[in-house]
Amino acid sequence: MSCMNRYLYDGTADGLLSAIAWIIEEEPDPEQVLLLERKDTLFEEGFFIATDATLAESLFFRLRHHAPDAAHTLYTFMLAEKEGMETSLLHYVALAFTHGDKVKGHLTHPGVRDIVTVSRKAERELHRMKGLLRFEKLQDGAYLAKMEPDHNILHPLAWHFSRRLRAQHWFLYDVRRRTAARWNNGSLRFGTIEQFTTPALSDEEKKVQAMWQTFFKTIAIPDRKNPRLQKSNMPMKYWKYLTEKQGE
Amino acid sequence: MDTLAKLQILSGAARYDASCASSGSRREGPSCGTGNTSLGGICHSWSDDGRCISLLKILLSNECRYDCAYCVNRSSNPGERTSFTAREVVQLTLDFYRRNYIEGLFLSSAVFQSPDHTMERMVRVVETLRTEEHFGGYIHMKIIPGCSSELVQKAGLYADRISVNIELPSAASLQRLAPQKQKHSILEPMALIGREITSSLVERKSSRRAPRFAPAGQSTQMIIGASPENDFQILRLSQGLYKKMNLKRVYYSAYVPVSADNRLPVLAAPPLLREHRLYQADWLLRFYGFSAEEILSDDAPHLDEAFDPKTAWALRHPEFFPVEVSRADYATLLRVPGIGVTSAKRILAARRFSSLTPEGMKKIGVVMKRAKYFITCSGRSFEKPDRPEAFLRQQLLLPGNREAALPAPSRQLVLPGIFA
Repeated sequence: MSCMNRYLYDGTADGLLSAIAWIIEEEPDPEQVLLLERKDTLFEEGFFIATDATLAESLFFRLRHHAPDAAHTLYTFMLAEKEGMETSLLHYVALAFTHGDKVKGHLTHPGVRDIVTVSRKAERELHRMKGLLRFEKLQDGAYLAKMEPDHNILHPLAWHFSRRLRAQHWFLYDVRRRTAARWNNGSLRFGTIEQFTTPALSDEEKKVQAMWQTFFKTIAIPDRKNPRLQKSNMPMKYWKYLTEKQGE
Repeated sequence: MDTLAKLQILSGAARYDASCASSGSRREGPSCGTGNTSLGGICHSWSDDGRCISLLKILLSNECRYDCAYCVNRSSNPGERTSFTAREVVQLTLDFYRRNYIEGLFLSSAVFQSPDHTMERMVRVVETLRTEEHFGGYIHMKIIPGCSSELVQKAGLYADRISVNIELPSAASLQRLAPQKQKHSILEPMALIGREITSSLVERKSSRRAPRFAPAGQSTQMIIGASPENDFQILRLSQGLYKKMNLKRVYYSAYVPVSADNRLPVLAAPPLLREHRLYQADWLLRFYGFSAEEILSDDAPHLDEAFDPKTAWALRHPEFFPVEVSRADYATLLRVPGIGVTSAKRILAARRFSSLTPEGMKKIGVVMKRAKYFITCSGRSFEKPDRPEAFLRQQLLLPGNREAALPAPSRQLVLPGIFA
C-alpha cells in the first residue's frame, strides 16, 4: 500500500467532496489513491488538499447531471456521517463518472459495495421515519415531532413533510444532533437549538393520543399475536417517541 | 356513546380485513389542505400481530342485517352495535393524519338498511374529506355488493383504491356460508371498476385534467380455510382475477374462528402456514412468470407445507437445472429457488462489470442457502452435480435451510405493497 498516493482533507463534508474533485482531475488512476481525514499526528503522511466549497458543489452538480442515481446514492451516503470510508467514496465517484448510473450494480467492487450498503441503510431509516415520526399538538396550535435517528435525515425528512402537511405550522427536532426544522406559511427553515424546553401540549392532545392508543390495541388480531415480527419491523430504538408505545 | 368507545368497537370489527396497502398512487398535496400520497406507500406502525398499520381501518357501522357464517359482524352474533357519524370519521382521519399516525383512511361497513343506503353514507364521508376538508391522503374504500353503479362510480372518483370482497373461493361456498350475498353482485361491480379504471387511464393520456378513477387500482380478499376449496382452485381463481379483471392484489385471510356455526370447520388455530404458502404462490403468479398450472395440478392440488412453491417446482423439474448464473436471462434466474427479484437484478447488473465467481455471488448479496443446489457459476458448481432428488429434499429440510417453523405470517401482509 505504501506505493499508493495518500491525500488528506480537513474532515468536513465540503472538504471531502472538494478533495475528491481535485483527485479525479489530477490523478490518472484514482483507484491507486488513498484519501484520509487529517488527524494532525506527528508522523502523518500525505498531501493535504484545501477545502474549496465551490469545487465541492460543482462536483455534485456534475455528477447529478452525469449519473443522477449515483448522485442520489452519494447524497444519502453523506447522511450517514460515516468516518473512515473516504477512499471508498473516492473510488465510487470516479467509477460513476466512467460508467454512469450502472456503477450501482458493480457490487463486487469493495468500494462500491461499501458506499451502496451505507447509503441503503440511511435510505431505509429515512423511509422508516416518514412513517414513525409522531407530531404532538402544542398549545399555540403548532405541531412538534421529536426524534433520535441514527442518520442525519432531518433535511430530506422535513422536505417530505413540507409537501404533506402544508397547511400546518410544525417543528421537527433531532434531539441527538440538536438540529431543528420549522415549517410555517409555506417556508421551511433549518437551525440549531441550544436549549430545549418542552412546550405545553394543547388541551385536546391527550384525548387524540388516547384514541390512537386504543386503535393500535384493537386493530391487532389476538389469535395472531407476533411480538417478534412487530419488533423486527419496528425496532425498539424507535419506541421512545411513539405515541402508541408510551408506557411499555 | 362517545367516539373513543365507538372507535374501539368499529376498529375491532375491521381488523380481519387484510389489506393495508397505501401504495400505487401519487398525488400532490393541496396547498390549503392536508395530505399527499407516496407512490411506494408508507407504513406508520406495526400492531401486536406484526401486521403493518398504514391506514385508519374502520367500519362506518357494524349494524349488519346479513348473517354470513364466517363473519364477526353477522347479525346473529351477540355484541355491541354502533355507527360513526360522517363527522366523527372525518375528524378522526384528520386528527390522526396531522400527527402522522396514518397514511389515510380505509373505510368499510356492515350493511345496514340496504346496500345503497350504506354505500351512500360511506361516499358522503369521503366526499366531505376530499371536497370540504381538502384531504389529499390515501383513501381505500370497500364497495358494498348490490349497490348502484352510480355509487361505485362516485366512490372511484374520491378513493385511491376500491375493493369488492370476493369473500369465498367459490359460488357454492358463498351460497352455503353467505346466502344473502350473490356471486353476480360481487363480480359485476368488479368488472365495472375494471372498465372505469381502463377508460380513465385512456382519457388521461389525452388530457391531464381528466378525472382519475381509483388510481391505485382495485383489490379483493378471500377467506382461506372456512370452505373446502383446494389451493389449485384458489390459485386459478386469483390468476383469472389478475388476468381478466386486472386486479392489483388478491388478499388471502386465514380463517380465524369467530363463531361456532356448524357449517364451519373446527380449527385449532388459523391456517397461517397455508395462507403464507398461498401468498408465496401469488407472488410467483405476479412477479416470477409462473402460471397456476405450473405450480399445482389436479393430481397435486395442495401446496407443499414443507417447501415453498418455487422449491417444490424446482424439485419436480430437475431437467431445468443447474442454471448457469453468468449467462442465464432474467426469467430463468427468477426460477431458481432462493433467487428473487432483487438478487436476479443484482446478478444482471454485476455481470456487466466482471464475470461472476462464487465469492462474487455472496458479495453482491445473493443468499446461497437454497440457490447453491440449483446453479453453476462460470461452470463451477457449488454442490456435486446430479444429486438424486431424495438427497436434495433432505438437504433443503435440514434445520439451517428450513424456513422458520410456523407462525411467521407472510411478510406480504406486512410491507404495504412494495410491489402492489
